Parts: sequence; structure tokens; C-alpha cells
Amino acid sequence: MKIKHEIFETNIGVLIVFTMLAISIGGLVEIAPLFYINDTVEDVRNADGTQSVRPYSGLEQHGRDIYTREGCYNCHSQMIRPFRDEALRYGHYSLAAESQYDHPFQWGSKRTGPDLARVGEKYSDAWHVKHLIAPRSVVPESVMPNYPWLQKNDLDYSQTQAKMRALKKVGVPYSSTQEEYEANVKQFGQAVADKLDITRADENLIAEAENNNRDGLPDRITEMDALVAYLQVLGTMIDFKAHDEHEFIKTR
Amino acid sequence: MTDIWLWMSDLANSKITALLIFFTLFSGMLLYVYGDKKRSKRLESYKDIPLDDDIHENMTKGDRKNG
Amino acid sequence: MVHSSASSTELYNYDIVKKFAIASLVWGVLGMFTGVWIASELAWPFLNFDIAQISFGRLRPVHTSGVIFGFGGNALFATSFYIVQRTCQARLAGTYTTHNFLFIGWNLALVIAAVGYTMGITQAREYAEPEWYVDIMITAVWVVYFWVFVTTITRRNQPHIYVANWFFMAFILATAILHIFNNLAMPVSFTGAKSYSLFSGAQDAMTQWWYGHNAVGFFLTAAFLGMMYYFVPKQAGRPVYSYRLSIVHFWALGFMYMWVGTHHLHWTAIPDWTSSLAAVFSILLLMPSWGGMINGIMTLSGAWDKLRTDPIMMFMITSLSFYGMSTFEGPMMALKEVNALSHYTDWTVGHVHSGALGWVAMITIGSFYHMIPRLWNTTLYNMQLVKAHFFLATLGIILYITAMWASGIGQGIMLREFDEFGNLANTFISTVVMSHGPFVVRAVGGMFFLTGMLLMVYNIFMTICQAKREERASIEQSVTA
Repeated sequence: MKIKHEIFETNIGVLIVFTMLAISIGGLVEIAPLFYINDTVEDVRNADGTQSVRPYSGLEQHGRDIYTREGCYNCHSQMIRPFRDEALRYGHYSLAAESQYDHPFQWGSKRTGPDLARVGEKYSDAWHVKHLIAPRSVVPESVMPNYPWLQKNDLDYSQTQAKMRALKKVGVPYSSTQEEYEANVKQFGQAVADKLDITRADENLIAEAENNNRDGLPDRITEMDALVAYLQVLGTMIDFKAHDEHEFIKTR
Repeated sequence: MTDIWLWMSDLANSKITALLIFFTLFSGMLLYVYGDKKRSKRLESYKDIPLDDDIHENMTKGDRKNG
Repeated sequence: MVHSSASSTELYNYDIVKKFAIASLVWGVLGMFTGVWIASELAWPFLNFDIAQISFGRLRPVHTSGVIFGFGGNALFATSFYIVQRTCQARLAGTYTTHNFLFIGWNLALVIAAVGYTMGITQAREYAEPEWYVDIMITAVWVVYFWVFVTTITRRNQPHIYVANWFFMAFILATAILHIFNNLAMPVSFTGAKSYSLFSGAQDAMTQWWYGHNAVGFFLTAAFLGMMYYFVPKQAGRPVYSYRLSIVHFWALGFMYMWVGTHHLHWTAIPDWTSSLAAVFSILLLMPSWGGMINGIMTLSGAWDKLRTDPIMMFMITSLSFYGMSTFEGPMMALKEVNALSHYTDWTVGHVHSGALGWVAMITIGSFYHMIPRLWNTTLYNMQLVKAHFFLATLGIILYITAMWASGIGQGIMLREFDEFGNLANTFISTVVMSHGPFVVRAVGGMFFLTGMLLMVYNIFMTICQAKREERASIEQSVTA
């Protein structure tokens, strides 16, 4: 039997099938293994055996949604690479575990501004508020836009439970039943499990916003409250001092 | 034989496995496309297709003014 | 004079091609204007004017979607429908309604997406920002596009399927797979815009850059190679250099592109083997890429004088040169050592634009200058304006990419500089200060390119007016005769 390239050139069906084959192999080899290799995402635990990395609280998730809404990822990465200069500038290199509850990931591709993977707790809430409203008031050479509306807009938290339920459907362990709550207590400890309870989402959000009062406006819950809450938690979940320096290298 | 399969299915060796597969296919394709004079001639004849589509058109059209 | 080419207007459906071509130019101007605007925002941040809707983060996706899917996408619909009809010598499949569904569906989806971005509605994944309902619209359009394209091919009066159509076929298939898998998401509610990606963290990153790089590979490369394989031979008046080379390079390109997406994630929290594999295939990808470039440029061998006399040819050959350059630069940047410096900097932005402006935009512009007069059965209004456009575009690109090299490499070097005590020599903000000059030059380069596009729009507009005049004149003539 003679095989001719004409089979492709004169038969659109065969051309389609073989083109599909050619383009599918690479994608499958690259991506498919990540979904079943367990050590792609590290298992990082605290001294008491609970998971270090937890899902975001309702308020933090709202902050994250504002982060994506404003397109912060266009200029800020959240992925520290294992280089000496990045270690000195930003801190320990990022682990896959740290973004395991990030839907979508926000690793970014461009640093017009600095990396934010470990920006949490580096600056005060007041600094963030001032910087977000007018970046050049604290960093004169900055080219970041002003975000005055974050302080003006009240946070719309009517969708908190709906958002948590949607995230639960894609694998984030928020709890809506007693069993799920207890499983979370085991996995993350009681304090965190309380925050992940969808049925208590609204009261938790209000309490978190009012207790921290990050926007400096005690009688209001603004978008600033949420965004700063999110920024302040970035990169703070794992205490790297408690881990051996070489512990995470084997997962690379 | 099983050793070879084990080695190939280890993802750490995927780079070499992939390169081997790709190289074999690629060489086969080169041999096929360039290996036979008659076939080459036939394949090259297809390159005139885009130039044949103007047959029905007025050939002075197109770049009449400035071309 | 009665136009004998009327027969080709009867045989082929040019109406839908015309619509997509004009839409492409409109999106081109809008998208590039947005690009110049956001480039200026980085140089002079007061231009954000404290207006949420036009702040950099919300406007950048308007620019990227506008030029990639608006300018590029509409151009691909137009040229693929033109080419598939003419190389199959068959009329486009589908009815007036089918074609308008494609035209309105695609452009409406883009308008909804772009307006959404300014309102903060986004999936926040680069080049896949449209939310779930726009993604569904795009999927519907794409299925119909596939049907129209394949059905036209099955109705061909030419036994062989010309190579340009293979590239368009690969583009349509790959884009469908990429679009569907990368946009799998869970809407918060079916009455709201917000959704969350099905994947998270490392998996999400892999899926996204598998998509992101292959959007470049199949949308911005394979499809535009299809354009090249038709319009370069046509404009040169000679067949493509080697048909056998085109067969080899088609299969190699189609096979290899999908492997390399992970080079966008070098040194990040993904397994090392995926990243090494991507680096190796990125280097290999140089071969099929240059296969295409050589095939295009060598088509002109024996007629090199056209490079001096024909500005349309200048666009095409320059675009192939930029294609060759950026497909050399790309594999180099995919080396892990180079990537360590270049990633996260303006070097990436410069690389993208040498491909997007140099290759994609210039081959489109050249093809349009060839195609549009033929669609309206006339000649181009003014060839001198094409020459002016060519010089504005080339100068704009050169300013753009040199500025980005300076800024990107400068930033990469400054950030990894240590003083004699082993401390960081530079703060981050000092790299921002350094970038100001290049940012200004980049904005100016963009303005040059945009000005060229405006010349083109004027030239095309006058060409169409002229065609209408000629048509009226010929009708009057036939009436009096």
C-alpha cells in the first residue's frame, strides 16, 4: 500500500484528525501530569499539624476580587523566584502550596511594580491606604495609578456566600455542613475553620472588617478594607523560620 | 523490554523520550517529502494554485494605476 | 469598460470579507490608540486622571483584546474567507445569515468584553480576560466558523487543498481547544458576571500559559502564516519558494508549539521537568519558524527589484524579517538563564511587539493593501501613502523595541546588582526611574505606528469611494450604450 501525503491534502477529514493529533500531544504531556502528581503542591504544616495555607476569609476574597477587577496583575507578580536578589528583595521563593486556593492564579508576567507575593505585614494598613489613594504621596517616583474610589466605595458584600459556594464547587474547602466544618477544624484548626464557614460568612466579614478597621473609617466597610485585608495576608501563611531551608527543594 | 517502557514513562526522562519520538517522525517526513524525485515534482506542482485563481479575471486589474 | 472580473465577484462571496476587513481596521485603530494611551499612562501617570474606567489595569486588556482579537481576529476571518474561496475555487458555504451571525457575534462579543473590562469585569487571566458569558458567545461563533470553513473546503473545485488552508485549519482547531479548556470556570451566579477559574494555583498557571503561548502560536503565527502563503506569492506574482518545505514546516510547527508554553513559567513553582522540556522544544521551534520565513522571503528570489518598487512587497518582506527576528529572540528568551533576567521585564513586552507589530500587523497591512482593491474591483487610491505608511510603521517598531530592550535589560541587570558588601545595589523604584526615558520613546514609537494606521484607513476609505464612483460611471456608460 502506498501512503501519500495527498491523503492529507485532498481529504479535509484526515487533515483535521492528524492536525488534532499533532497539536494535542504536547499539551497533554505538559499539563496532564500536574493533575495527578501529588508532590506538585507541597504539604506544608504548622507545628501543631494543621495546614499552613488556608483559603481566604470572606473579606480577603472580596479584596482579591477587587485586586483582579482593577487588573493589578498587569503590573505586579505574585511569584518569587529562587534567586539571591529576589530572596533579599522579596523573601523566600514562592511555593505552589501558597497559591493552591487561588482561582485564578495571579502569578503575573510583568513587574512594572514590585512583586507582591510576600507584601503582607511589610507595611502598615495606614501606609497601604495612603499609597492606594495616591501612590506618589509616599513613593514620589511611582507610576502607579491613584485608586481613590476604593475608599469612597462601600464594599458590596451581598454576594459573599454565593462567592464562597462557587469557590467550594471548584475545590476550595469552605464548609456548609457540620461534617465539613469538623473536617476543617481538623485540617486548619478551630479559628480558621470558623472563618471558612459559609453559613456564618456575613457576620464573620463584618466582624473582621470592624475589628481591624484597615481603612481608618470605623463606621464604614469600604472596598479599601477588603483590598488591604487581602494584601496584608499575602505570603504570611507559612512561617518559613519554622522550616528547614532545603525542605522545599525536592518538590521542584 | 519492560525496562525501556519504565524508563520512557518516567517523566524525568520525558525530554529525551519526546525528542526521540519527534526526531524519528521528523526524519521520516523529510525522507518522504524529499526522498523521491517524482513525488517532489508532484508536490511542487501544487504551489501554483493561488496563481491560477485569476484566470477569469481581467489581468490588467489590480495594480493598474501604480503597480 | 465592462469589468470582466465581475465573474469572480459572482463566483465568490466578497460581502462578508469586506465587512470583516473594515471591522479589522476599525479595531486596529481603536486598539492601537488604547495602546498608545496606556503606554503614555506609564510614562506620565497623571493620564489615569483618577478615573477608574481608564486606569492602566483596566485599560490594558482593552488594548490587548482590541488588537489581538479585534484587529487580528477580524483580519483572519476576512483573509481566511477570501483565501479559502479563491484557492478552492468555490463559493463560501453558508447563507447571508450564517455570515452575519459570525460577523455580529464576534464583534459584539468583543465590544461586550471591552466595555466589561473598563467596568472591572474580567477573569484576570492574560489574553483570556472575557468572562464566562462572552466565552460562550465566542465558542458559538467559533463552531460556526469551523463549519463554514470546512464545508467550503469540501465543496472545492480543486482536488488539492492549498497549504494556506491547512494553516487556517490548524488555527481554528487549536484555538477551539485552547479557548474551551482555558476558560473552564464556575460562575458565581447565572445572572451575574463574576466567575472563578476551575483550576487554581500551579495548575491554573500551566493551563493559562499553555493557552497564552499557543494563542501566540496558532492565532498569531499559524493563521498569519496562512495569510502569508497566499498573499506573498500573489503580490510577488510567483509561486511560493518550496512547497515541500511548507509541508515539513507545517507539521513541525503544529506538533512543537504546544510543548513550549511552560517557558513563561521558568523558575516558578512548577516541576522542573516541565520547564526544561519547554526550553528544549522552544529551541527546536526555531527550525519550523525559520522554515516559514525562508519560504516566504525566498518566494521573491529572482524578483528582488520588487522590494524597491513595490511598497506592499516591502510590508510583506519586512514582516517576514521581523518574524524571523522574533522567532530567534523567543527561543533565546526561553533559555532558563536568559529568562532569569528577561522575565517580568519590558524585554518581554518588546519581544511581543516585535512579533505583533512587526510580523502580525505588517503582514496584515500588506495583505489588506493587496486584497481590498480587489474586493471592490478597483485599484489602490494612492501608492505613495502606502510608502509613507511603511516608513512610519517601521520607524515606530524600531523605536518601540529598542526602547523596550533598553528598559528591560536595564531593569534585569539593575535588579540583580549587588554592592561590595553583598547587599542589593538598587531599590526597585530606581528601576522605575530608569525606565521613564524608554517609556516615553515607546509611546512615541506607538504614535508613529498609529499614525501609519490612520494613513491606511484614509487610503482605504478613498479607495472604496473611488470604487463606488467607478461603478456608477460604468453603469451610466452601459445605460447610454
